[in-house]
Amino acid sequence: MLRLVLRRLASLPFVIVSVTFVTFIVGYLAPGDPILALMGNQRDPALYERLRDIYGLNRPWHEQYLSYLGGLLRGDFGLSYRFAQRPVLDLIRDGIGVSFALGLAALTLSVAVGVPAGIFAALRQNSAAERGLMALMLGLFAIPSFVLIPILQWANYQVYRAVGSALPAAGWGRPEHWVMPVLVLSAASLGYIARLTRANVLEVMRQDYVRTARAKGLRETRVRAAHILRNAALPIVTVIGPSVAFLVTGAFVVETLFAIPGVGFLSIQAVGQRDYPVIQGTTVLLALAVVAMNLVTDLLYMALDPRIRVDV
Amino acid sequence: MMHSIQRIALLLFILALLAAPAAAQDGTTITWSIEGINDVVSLDPAKASDAQGFTVIGLLHAGLVRLNADLLVEPDLAESWSISDDGLTYTFTLREGAAFSDGSPVTAEDVVWSLNHALDPNTGGWTGPYLLSNIAGSDEVVSGEADTLSGVQAVDARTVTITIKQPSAYFLSQLTFGPAKVVSKAAAEASADNLDQASVTSGAFAVQEWNRGQGLVLVPNANYWQPAAQVSRLNIVFNQDSETAYQRFRTGELDIMGGAQNPIPAARVPEVKDSPDFRTTNAFNLRYVAFNNQLAPFDDVRVRQAFAHAVDKVTLADVVLGGTVTAADRILPPGMPGSELPIEPLAFDPDRGKALLAEAGIDPAAFTLTLTYGVEGDNERVVTVLQSMWQENLGITVTLEPLELSTFSARLNDTYQDPANGLQAYYSVWGTIYPDPQYFLSQVLRTGVGNNNPHFSNAEFDALVDEADVIIGDFARRAQLYNQAEQIAVNEVGWLPLFNGQVNVLVRECVQGVAVTGLFSAYVIPDYSALRGCQ
Repeated sequence: MLRLVLRRLASLPFVIVSVTFVTFIVGYLAPGDPILALMGNQRDPALYERLRDIYGLNRPWHEQYLSYLGGLLRGDFGLSYRFAQRPVLDLIRDGIGVSFALGLAALTLSVAVGVPAGIFAALRQNSAAERGLMALMLGLFAIPSFVLIPILQWANYQVYRAVGSALPAAGWGRPEHWVMPVLVLSAASLGYIARLTRANVLEVMRQDYVRTARAKGLRETRVRAAHILRNAALPIVTVIGPSVAFLVTGAFVVETLFAIPGVGFLSIQAVGQRDYPVIQGTTVLLALAVVAMNLVTDLLYMALDPRIRVDV
Repeated sequence: MMHSIQRIALLLFILALLAAPAAAQDGTTITWSIEGINDVVSLDPAKASDAQGFTVIGLLHAGLVRLNADLLVEPDLAESWSISDDGLTYTFTLREGAAFSDGSPVTAEDVVWSLNHALDPNTGGWTGPYLLSNIAGSDEVVSGEADTLSGVQAVDARTVTITIKQPSAYFLSQLTFGPAKVVSKAAAEASADNLDQASVTSGAFAVQEWNRGQGLVLVPNANYWQPAAQVSRLNIVFNQDSETAYQRFRTGELDIMGGAQNPIPAARVPEVKDSPDFRTTNAFNLRYVAFNNQLAPFDDVRVRQAFAHAVDKVTLADVVLGGTVTAADRILPPGMPGSELPIEPLAFDPDRGKALLAEAGIDPAAFTLTLTYGVEGDNERVVTVLQSMWQENLGITVTLEPLELSTFSARLNDTYQDPANGLQAYYSVWGTIYPDPQYFLSQVLRTGVGNNNPHFSNAEFDALVDEADVIIGDFARRAQLYNQAEQIAVNEVGWLPLFNGQVNVLVRECVQGVAVTGLFSAYVIPDYSALRGCQ
C-alpha cells in the first residue's frame, strides 16, 4: 500500500508538467490577448505595448513557461492579469475551501440518499414505489443543472410570494445559502449512484453465496449487511472517485448561477478574461484533486476487497 | 429507508423557514448588485478598468469635481476653480475642512500624488494614461522619462494647479472619472495594500468589509463634505449572472440591480416594465457598422452610402430586437449634450443604394463583403439581419465572421495598425465615459486618433471638431460645430449608425436619491445626504 502511495507521488511532477504545458501552450496559441481583454474596446497602441512589457507578455514563450514552472516549484502560481497583479494563490485559496465544502456536501448527500434509495429499490423490485423512485432518479441524473436551477428558482419565488420569505436565491455565507446549490450539485450523482446501487444489489442478490448464506440459516439482516451490501459496495466506490470530477465541473455552472465564491466561478471569469495564470493555477489544482481522488479510490478498493492489488 | 429521505426533506424544510430576511439595522441599508463580475479588480481608482469597478470606486472616492444629475460638472472636493485666459491652467481651491475617512485632511499634495499615481506606468492601469493624457508632462511620466507630472503643482495646502497641453472644453468632464479620484498619499505610501483595499477613502463611503468573490460592506464616511447620513450600510453584492441578480431582487434580497453594460435580462423586461421599481433611460452608446476606408471599394464614399441606404434600421430595432433598443440615424445618442440639434439622416432607400453602387462601378454579383463581429449578446441576430438586408436590397453576398471578443478586439487593433491587412467591415459598439459630444466625434472619427479603426478621414470634419474641442464656456457654439461635423460623418458614413441601447435597471421604489443615467457607469447620486434605503 505504501508502494502505491509512493509511486503515485513520484508520478506527480509528470502530471503537473504535462498539465501546465498543455494549458500554457493552448493559452499561448489561442487567438485573443489578455491586455486587450483588460483594456476593453478603447486602446492606445503605445500604452498597449507598455502594458505587455509590464506583464512580461512580450518575452518568448519558452521563457514565459520556464519562469512559470520555476515559480510553481517555490509555490508561486504567478500574478493574475485581471486582478491587478494579485497573486493567483491568494485568489485560489479564497475559493478552494468553498468549492471543496460544497462538493463534499453534495457528494455526502448523493451517497447518503442515493445508496439507501438504490437498496430500497432493489429490495422492492417491481413494486410501484420502486418504479416511481427509479424514474425520479433517472430524471435527476438526466436533467442538466442549468435547467434544474431555473425550476428551483421559480419554485422558490412562488414560496416567497405565498409566505413572504424563502431561501436566498443566491449568495454565500449563511447555512441556508447551501440548500439550493447542494441540491443541484448532487442531483446528477445522486441519480447515478441510486441506479448503480440498485443494479449491483440486484446482481449480488442472485449470487450463489447469498443463497448459501440464507441456506445456512443466517438472519436476513446479516445476509443483507455482510453478504449483499459489502459485495455490492465495490462498484459504487469506483464511481465515487470520478463523481468528484463531475462535481467540480458541475460547480462551474452552479457557482456562477448562485454567485458562490468558489474556484469554478473564478475559472469561468479567468477564461473570459484571458487570465492565463489563474487558468493554469486552477487546472493544476484540479489535476491534483483528480490524482488524489484516484489514489483514495484505489486504497478503498484494497480495503474493501483484499484480493485486489493495484499496481501502477 | 424511507425514513432517512423524509428526515432530509424535513431538514430542508426547516432550513427554508430559517431563511428569513436579515434583521433591520439602525438607519437604512441599501443592497446594491453589480453584475457581470465576481469581484472588483482593485479599489485603487488608477487600476480599475471596467464600468463595475468604477461604480464601486465612485461610492468610495471623490474627485476635484463630479457630475450632477443633469450630467454637468459641479464642485466635489474642490469648492471652486478658475481657468486662465489661454485655457491652459486650472487653479482648484480645495473645500475647507475636506478630510479622508481616517480624519486626515485632503491636501493639494494628495491631489498631486493621485494624478501622478494614475499616470505612473508601474501602476499598470490604462484609464489614467487614456483619460488624463492632456495634462502637461503626462507623456513623459507614462513613458518613464519623468517621475513626476510637470503639469500638476501644489501651490499651498488648499490650492492645486493643473496645466494642460491643449485648451479643452471637456477636461473637467475627464476629471470626474475614475483615475482622477483623490486618494490619501500618506495611506498609499504606508502600504500598497491600502490603495487596493481602499483602507482610507475620500468619498461618501468607506470600506468596512471586503468579502472576496462576494461583495463589500460599505459604511458612510462621516468626514465627506456631504455625508450619507440616512444610510447606515451599503452592501455591494457581485452577481456574475444578471438572471441570478434578478432572482435575488425579486425575492427581496436586493434594492438596486442592473447597469448600462449588464441591464436586467431582456426576457424579464415584459414582466417588470409596469413595476414601480423599473427604471429605463437611453444608454449613451451606439451600435454601428464601420467600413475600412483604406480598402477599396470602401475608400469610395458612394459605396459606403449605398450600404447605409440599404439598411432598414426601424425593422431591425423594433421587429428583430423587439423594441428593446431605439433605431439610430445619427452618431450622438439621444440625451447626450449636443443631440438636441437635428441631423439629416441617410434614409432607408434601396433604390438609391443600388444607383450609388452602379455609379461607383461596383457589380454586386462580383463583390463579397466580410462583416466581422464579436460574439456577444444579440450580435449574431443583428449581423444576420444586416446580411439579408444587403443581399436583398443590393444583391451583395455577405460573409459573416464571428470572433471571440478579445480576438475581435485584437483584429480591430490590427486594422488600426495596418489597414491594408485589416478588417473589411465590422459591427461594434461605442459607449461614452464622460458626457461630452467630443467622445463620440473627435475621439473616434478624427483623422489618425487611436480609436479611429476604420480610418475615416475628412478635412472639414477635422477642422470643425478641432475648433469645437477647445471652446470653453460657450457650449451652444461648440454644439453647433459638433453638429456640422456630425452631419459630415453621417453623410460620408464614417460610421453607419444602427441603434442605441437602453439602460434597464431595477431600483426599489422606496430607495431615494439615486439617478439613472445613460453613462456607462449608469448611476449618479446627486446629493449623498438625500440617499436613503428602504429600511
